[in-house]
Amino acid sequence: MKINQIPSILAFLPVLCLVLIVQGASAAETGDTAPAVQLPQLQVDGSMALADFRGRIVYLDFWASWCPPCLVSMPIMNEMRNRLQAQGVPFEVVAVNVDSDPEDGIDFLLDKPVDFIVLSDPEGRSPADYKVVGMPTSFLVGADGVIAMRHQGFRRSDAQTIENEIMKLAGGMP
Amino acid sequence: MSGSRKLLLVLLLPCSVMLSGCQPVQAWERGVLAKPEMAIDANPLETQLNNHIYFSKEASNGGHSATGGGCGCN
Repeated sequence: MKINQIPSILAFLPVLCLVLIVQGASAAETGDTAPAVQLPQLQVDGSMALADFRGRIVYLDFWASWCPPCLVSMPIMNEMRNRLQAQGVPFEVVAVNVDSDPEDGIDFLLDKPVDFIVLSDPEGRSPADYKVVGMPTSFLVGADGVIAMRHQGFRRSDAQTIENEIMKLAGGMP
Repeated sequence: MSGSRKLLLVLLLPCSVMLSGCQPVQAWERGVLAKPEMAIDANPLETQLNNHIYFSKEASNGGHSATGGGCGCN
């Protein structure tokens, strides 16, 4: 077949494929090194980075005030964090609020205060880095900075699964 | 390659580049969509009742709407 016999529409297929491949870049998955996060804190001055918690197991949670499952997850994760820390488990929760207006997140936390660190990312750079596709999405990052678990959505029954994974990671630590 | 095919190719190439602009609303950008007034179904209770009537009288179920709201949660 001569090249000029190929319909022109086929000529642009490679370009289309390239565009689609670039758009569908893979998400941050289990076994990947957690992308860096450095953001201002939501309620107090100063910024924090995910790297500041290296050596601890971190539950990195992307949430928004308008997300109903987040209403469920925040108090549960707060209780789990405080309980595990009291038991000596090197565990921390780092929540990233993605409300376009940070005031909405602050109002949410006035109703449901938490003890863990809440960062603010109204421009959504960090959820883009982690290829978040739904709210809430959380990542359990091991002490070595590698993602051990990716979890989307939140139901009460999910808490036990998450805690089991944390204890498994903690069991493997020196 | 004939002139018309060249023209078609010239038109299609910029179109394919513009496809990268076809982005879905990202998960963290759904704050406005998640507002109650943005729900497709203004009265979930009435819809549930209607669905029950359809199910009871016509033995048809489902296919009326997708679960969840605009926020894409769960």
